Amino acid sequence: MPSPDLEKFRIAIDAHRAKLADACAAVRDAAGLEELRNRYLSRKRGFVTLLFEDLKKFEAADKPAAGQLLNLLKTEIQEKLAALEESLRTPAAGGPGVDLTLPGERLTWGAAHPLRIFQREIESIFQEMGFGIEDGPEIETDYYNFEALNFPPNHPARDDWDTLYINDNLLLRTHTSPVQIRIMEKHKPPIRIIIPGKVYRRETPDPTHAAMFFQVEGLVVDRNVTFAHLKGTLEYFLKRLFGDKLKTRFRPSFFPFTEPSAEVDIECLACGQKDPACRVCGGTGWKEILGSGMVDPQVFKNVNIDPEQYSGWAFGLGVERTAMFAYGIPDIRYFYENDLRFTRQFHLK
Amino acid sequence: MKISLNWLREYVDIEMPRNELLDRLTMIGLICEKWTETPDGDTVFDIETYANRPDTLGHLGIAREISAMTGFPLKERIHPVVELPIPTSEIVEVQVLDEDLCPRYTGFVVKGVKIGPSPENLRKKIEAMGLKPINNVVDASNAVLFATGQPIHMFDLEKVAGPRVVVRRAKKGEALRTLDGKNAALGPDMLVIADEKRPVAVAGVIGGEESGITEATRDVFIESAVFDPASIRRTRKALEIQTDACYRFERGADIGFAPEAAAMAASLLCSFGGRVSKGLVDIYPKPRKAKELVLRSLRTADLLGVAVPDAFIEKTLVALGFSVKPSAQGSWRVLVPSFRVDIEREADLIEEIARFFGYDRIPAVVASLGILDPVASDRLQIGRLSQQFFHFGFDEVVNASFADPDKETVLGTGRRPVTLRNPFSVHAAILRTTLLGGLLVNLRHNQNHGTEAVHIFEIGEVFSWADESRHVEELTLGLLSAGPLGLPQWSRPPAAANFHHLKGSLESALGALRYAMLVYEPAEHPSFEEGSALAVLYKGERIGIMGRVRDAICETYGAAGPAFAVEIALGVLLEKKAGTFAYEPSPKVPAVVRDLSFFVARDVSYQDIKSAVERAAVKFLESFDVIDRYAGPNNPPGQTSLSMRFVYRNPQATLLAEEADKSEQKILKTLKAAFKIELRKGGGA
Repeated sequence: MPSPDLEKFRIAIDAHRAKLADACAAVRDAAGLEELRNRYLSRKRGFVTLLFEDLKKFEAADKPAAGQLLNLLKTEIQEKLAALEESLRTPAAGGPGVDLTLPGERLTWGAAHPLRIFQREIESIFQEMGFGIEDGPEIETDYYNFEALNFPPNHPARDDWDTLYINDNLLLRTHTSPVQIRIMEKHKPPIRIIIPGKVYRRETPDPTHAAMFFQVEGLVVDRNVTFAHLKGTLEYFLKRLFGDKLKTRFRPSFFPFTEPSAEVDIECLACGQKDPACRVCGGTGWKEILGSGMVDPQVFKNVNIDPEQYSGWAFGLGVERTAMFAYGIPDIRYFYENDLRFTRQFHLK
Repeated sequence: MKISLNWLREYVDIEMPRNELLDRLTMIGLICEKWTETPDGDTVFDIETYANRPDTLGHLGIAREISAMTGFPLKERIHPVVELPIPTSEIVEVQVLDEDLCPRYTGFVVKGVKIGPSPENLRKKIEAMGLKPINNVVDASNAVLFATGQPIHMFDLEKVAGPRVVVRRAKKGEALRTLDGKNAALGPDMLVIADEKRPVAVAGVIGGEESGITEATRDVFIESAVFDPASIRRTRKALEIQTDACYRFERGADIGFAPEAAAMAASLLCSFGGRVSKGLVDIYPKPRKAKELVLRSLRTADLLGVAVPDAFIEKTLVALGFSVKPSAQGSWRVLVPSFRVDIEREADLIEEIARFFGYDRIPAVVASLGILDPVASDRLQIGRLSQQFFHFGFDEVVNASFADPDKETVLGTGRRPVTLRNPFSVHAAILRTTLLGGLLVNLRHNQNHGTEAVHIFEIGEVFSWADESRHVEELTLGLLSAGPLGLPQWSRPPAAANFHHLKGSLESALGALRYAMLVYEPAEHPSFEEGSALAVLYKGERIGIMGRVRDAICETYGAAGPAFAVEIALGVLLEKKAGTFAYEPSPKVPAVVRDLSFFVARDVSYQDIKSAVERAAVKFLESFDVIDRYAGPNNPPGQTSLSMRFVYRNPQATLLAEEADKSEQKILKTLKAAFKIELRKGGGA
């Protein structure tokens, strides 16, 4: 094997030396420094290490000279790296030459998920009105999810709640209403709570459907509670959420666990009830926002509360639907993609 | 439910513009968001109906609501027929063997029907319902269903052996080829209509093909019956069939109306040349009494929050078909008509009154409420925790609770997943046993959409089977960190995500909840690279794990590493008692700060050093921390250089240098004895 040319070796070493200053100038932090150190000195792949491998190929006569060249380079690199390390520890001083018009440091912070922001907004309105907050399990039994809420077995009303089952008895709760039962079993009236949480339906995801979504349930049980209170409280809540001038509409509906039942519509904020071709309200001028009603006497009986002594009202609202309507969000799936470009917008709300 | 305006007008006069009609229907709970206008001037509404109101599943029922709403009376209904001199029972023998599933069965025979296309009026009705006209007999049976909500079935009498009509449970092994061309396997819990030999229809669900009406049919047996709703529902679910008939039967047919529906069908067939047998077959062994309820005026006002005038209450209920008799002072005895299967309690009557009184006329009252219930402390703790993570630059995410079983296996949580019996997708067939999968999906999504810095956390439930019969839902905290920590700056570039940043974020955030310090020990886990993971312990109990996610797992999720992640059993932690908050006065005397720099063998962990110092209970030592670490080639082989800062203070008096010296010496002695540390040149002391 021919001995490598000493002169070429010197040129190669000088070339490395020439690049050294630029390489050091480009280092900004400890990680960069470490990377540079590895690039030169790594025990396996460092340039210097590889050059030492080359050294072995020199003939005995040239070896000392080549070795000296290489050791000089190595020392120089080590010194430069040490100096660099020191300088990295010294904060950059804002001397007179600094351009003050350069942008300020861009600080970042994390943002709450939009669903939590809406959920908290709803919670705080009800908390101000004296409501407590409760929660309950997401895996429920048929009894709490359906039967106690006055859905008899084999009743077609169950078809309106497409259910994900685990077995004959266990299912993913289709609404937050089972928590009503759990609370009423444990606490004597007066009860005044809201129940935010995840609920599940057997839905194939599309722009307006999700197999999991958030609901906020509300329940008031006391003596002398009337439908007028239901109306007053929900009207106030919706005005707080959407604005003082908001028009609301209560219309009859059906839920097995309330009687009488009411669906609550709010005026379409997209068209201001003016566009017969509005895509948001379908030209009706109204948007369905929540379901509600007076607690069904059978539900009270199921939890041993005397419906002659007590009355109550309840409501349930879909958080995503409400947020989508409020902000013109076209697709419910955006909430679960967790695209930070989407979620981070809402902390500015 | 499709409702034709022209058809409605056969039952009640409607004299108002369409929009007014729709608005007023909405306010009694019949909402219609879609309608179409037909070329011949009819309007077909698509009205939403409720599971408890089968009476609104026909034009007559909707007309009844409109009549109560407007005050226009329902028109008289007549069903003229041409009668044969032969009694029905002489032509066909009808028997109900299982009356529990068939409380009422009625029928007529119509002979000599000329099958052909329906007359125009009937065709239009069928088309308005979105169906294609078939022939006059089939169309007539559909017309009765959509007119009245009562399903009718028509048999070709010549195909009914006997002719005998037997209503019974199916026998084991019986089968029937149904009108939709499928073979239905019948079971003993299903009710059938059979002839002398075999089933000819699945009762209330679907007819048999063989006994169905064809172009050759001449004599027809009309069935108008009522079947047990739960049985119908079970049968149609087992057979996976949905028909207009079973949709109505499972919601509850009007037991009082079956004879009129039969008469109506017979009348239609007579208009096609048929002649009807004499006398209705009506098997109704236990005639039902009308339900009687008590309605109190005061209770109505108490529930609605408004006093509805007694006269209005009486008028509304009568218009809806109830019979109302004043009883004791301020109350009525109300008889419920058979078509209102939904009315069972006083509250149901009050809803009827409210519907027609108008929800908009009930006042809106905000009650004055008592004191605020305290918020559960878990929620406050979770709120504080989240706030900490926001400060540290972590974004909150919310993922669905479902997981892809194939991918979840890779994460190796060792938990037995809860499997869904009827998932909406095979990729969402189990409930998540860890938050990590969702966080990695989020990482991929954001990387694919140009976001490199992904520092996210989620607080949510994970699910598993604790044993054969007990499932658990565990509130869990998960964090994932990948990419640069912060935005590019001209002044200094951001660091990259790393283990200790994540660890620090976790410690600081949990510290804000006032829990005792976490302890760590090296751990191996399928989700994390070998040697990169630490188990997280709280007072000796393992509550989580953190480390660098295996590159291969990132790849499985389509994400690019390095990614660092942690998962903590937050629910377990929140059950522990957090320290109480107590104010401490700020020290009035200065501290003495001393740094020590030393070499220590690489296999000595900081946690070892920390514990040793803590155990030494050094006098005046207030706090200490690592302030620098170097593991480069300038060190002696196998050694790491550590610089630690110690803060000494005597709360009572200014600490003397000699006192600090003594404390420092004790630390040095401890560390030398335990770890053979060597002070670096200029390393202090």
